[in-house]
Amino acid sequence: MKITLFEQAPYRFMPDGFEQHYESVNSTPYSLATRDGVYSSIRDFMDELMVAARSGYDGLAMTEHAQSSYDMMANPGIVASALAYMTETEGLDVAIFPMGRSLGKAREPVRVAEEYAMIDVLSGGRLVAGFPIGLHYDASINNGVPPIEIRPRFDENLELILRAWTDREPFAHNGRFAQYPQVNIWPRPLQERVPVWITGIGNPRTMQMCLERNFGFNYLSWFGAKLTGKRIFDRFWEVADQVAVPRNPYRLGFTQTIAVAETDERAEAEYAHHLEYAFRTGLGSIPQQKLAMPGGIDIRGVQALVKDPGDFGLYSEMRTATFRDLVDAGVVICGSPSTVYEQLREYCSEYGIGTLHAMLGFGSLTRDLTMKNIQLFAEEVAPKLRELWADTDYAHHWWPERLGGDPTPVTPGVRATEDTPAQAHAPKTGVAV
Amino acid sequence: MSVTVMEEQGPSISEEAIPVWNGKLTIRAKVAGAGSALIYFHPANGLHWDPFLSHLAQTHTVYAIEFPGTSSGDPYAIHLIDNLADMVLVYEELVRSLGLTRPVLVGQSFGGMLAAELAAAYPNIASKVVLLSPLGLWREDLPVARWLEAGPQDMPALLFHDPSSAAAESMLALPEDPDIAAAAIAAQTWATGVTAKFCWPIPDRGLRARLHRFSAPTLVVWGREDSLNPVGYSDEWGRELRDVQVAVIDGCGHIAQVEKLHETIALVDAFLAGT
Repeated sequence: MKITLFEQAPYRFMPDGFEQHYESVNSTPYSLATRDGVYSSIRDFMDELMVAARSGYDGLAMTEHAQSSYDMMANPGIVASALAYMTETEGLDVAIFPMGRSLGKAREPVRVAEEYAMIDVLSGGRLVAGFPIGLHYDASINNGVPPIEIRPRFDENLELILRAWTDREPFAHNGRFAQYPQVNIWPRPLQERVPVWITGIGNPRTMQMCLERNFGFNYLSWFGAKLTGKRIFDRFWEVADQVAVPRNPYRLGFTQTIAVAETDERAEAEYAHHLEYAFRTGLGSIPQQKLAMPGGIDIRGVQALVKDPGDFGLYSEMRTATFRDLVDAGVVICGSPSTVYEQLREYCSEYGIGTLHAMLGFGSLTRDLTMKNIQLFAEEVAPKLRELWADTDYAHHWWPERLGGDPTPVTPGVRATEDTPAQAHAPKTGVAV
Repeated sequence: MSVTVMEEQGPSISEEAIPVWNGKLTIRAKVAGAGSALIYFHPANGLHWDPFLSHLAQTHTVYAIEFPGTSSGDPYAIHLIDNLADMVLVYEELVRSLGLTRPVLVGQSFGGMLAAELAAAYPNIASKVVLLSPLGLWREDLPVARWLEAGPQDMPALLFHDPSSAAAESMLALPEDPDIAAAAIAAQTWATGVTAKFCWPIPDRGLRARLHRFSAPTLVVWGREDSLNPVGYSDEWGRELRDVQVAVIDGCGHIAQVEKLHETIALVDAFLAGT
């Protein structure tokens, strides 16, 4: 099992009752922020990631949410580049994992390719390149992309970036969304094959693309993994069977919010308030119409979601969710090291998860408590958890070679991302996890 | 003047499928009535035959065109056309394919923008143009509402001055059968996403610079309390077009043809009857 620290960069000092008084965390008036509050929120976030790097985490992960008070992260590449250089100078062998640049949003795809390439160089070949499709509000409101173009823009941008990294000769790109007379970026990534991960929320087409194209697939616990996990992970492995790809757990990433203290009681006492803040003034304060905009979800998907919104789990109640609601739904795992370990081990082994993104800083959690959470998890949970899958023969093909990965393709086929899903399915592989 | 509104019965409506774009695209139209030709361009959320169209069909042959991608069973037609200029070509071809000579163009909201684009690109294509709260212009002090990110709870107030009126409630009502309701929600949501391809995030594709090309007499109708597309734009259309009448209806929101049907019909009838 590989374990990263995943953090967002929330503004940590919202007034009490924010979620009752403000429309969303995507339209938060900047007048609520103070200079010191912004500085410390970002400074602490960076310090916490560096503490994780020094505490033996396998990776440092962050992602992109612009114009948002719950994650002040307009471009994760900027943070990743700072971490890449700092960890390199300190000799810390940790993956730099922006999860990352949203390609359904990006209007300058070559710049994304260039920035990631630079991060790989700065880190000496430790980049893990994440590309989310793109949240609707981020792509369509923050960047003006018509929602119906998010997916085709993602597809075109991804192909262009992969080609920009690998083609030896300069080439012209005549795309639907971008045209370049010459693409010949300097520098290219140090890694011959940069591991690529896509973050999705359950669209089987995205899963299939990941499986067929040798990409890792990330899923997030935030809708409540006890409500949604079985649906999503079963779907993923069923698609894997359909396209005849082995059930290698390392290719499935899972982001889980986690809070560890000495005892269960103390964990609740220390973290409950901050967890409620995190989700009420985070995902809970993103109105549905900003997450699911017309045209961004296929017409068949809309019809299915109207009839069965199960993939969204606890989301509709999150604005008022209590600590107990969050725990019961699996949005968070909170308790003593043994409680947290047992739940994570059970979960990861049941669903075949081999790459865990532990979200140990969240919401209004103070610097000191975040540091404690990171340290306790590193010392008392991660070592045992890391043993999971160690006795299998699977290699981690979605991890940098310098960090022990083997990023060679496990499947030979390369399929254009704009293809419709394959109609003919190979026989099931029967590979057990 | 007195106006006869079509009874509940409505006219007999037929459906036509017209191949265009070298046979790659099939445009569907609902056709009703008799008399000189009138093309109707529906708003962003798709075509819904309403009493206004039934009334027009008493004096005209109404061709209510379904925007590509909004027709039942053919949602991905939208992916064939990537820009507004090509879409205007599609509609011009459609007029020729239907064999129509100088039809009346009537468009509402997004449909108004589309009708105006067609009339600006092809100044001789229409005999008259009726624009009902058309999109297409932008003024920073008059922001068009961001309808694409409005929740279901926000839409009634965006569309109607009085969302509790019978006409408004009738338009907003969903089918009782959950499967049919889910399909209806999906269809309207998709249509809104399809049309947004040509008017999101700012419904301004440079139309203002082309409006001087209009030659057909034009009627512009606005609801004074339009919350989606502010009534201040009616002055802009009045300024930019040469041969234009602008009418503003009091106590009326964005969908005049539904919220103030009789007043809208009176204005449109008088305009179309004039010489």
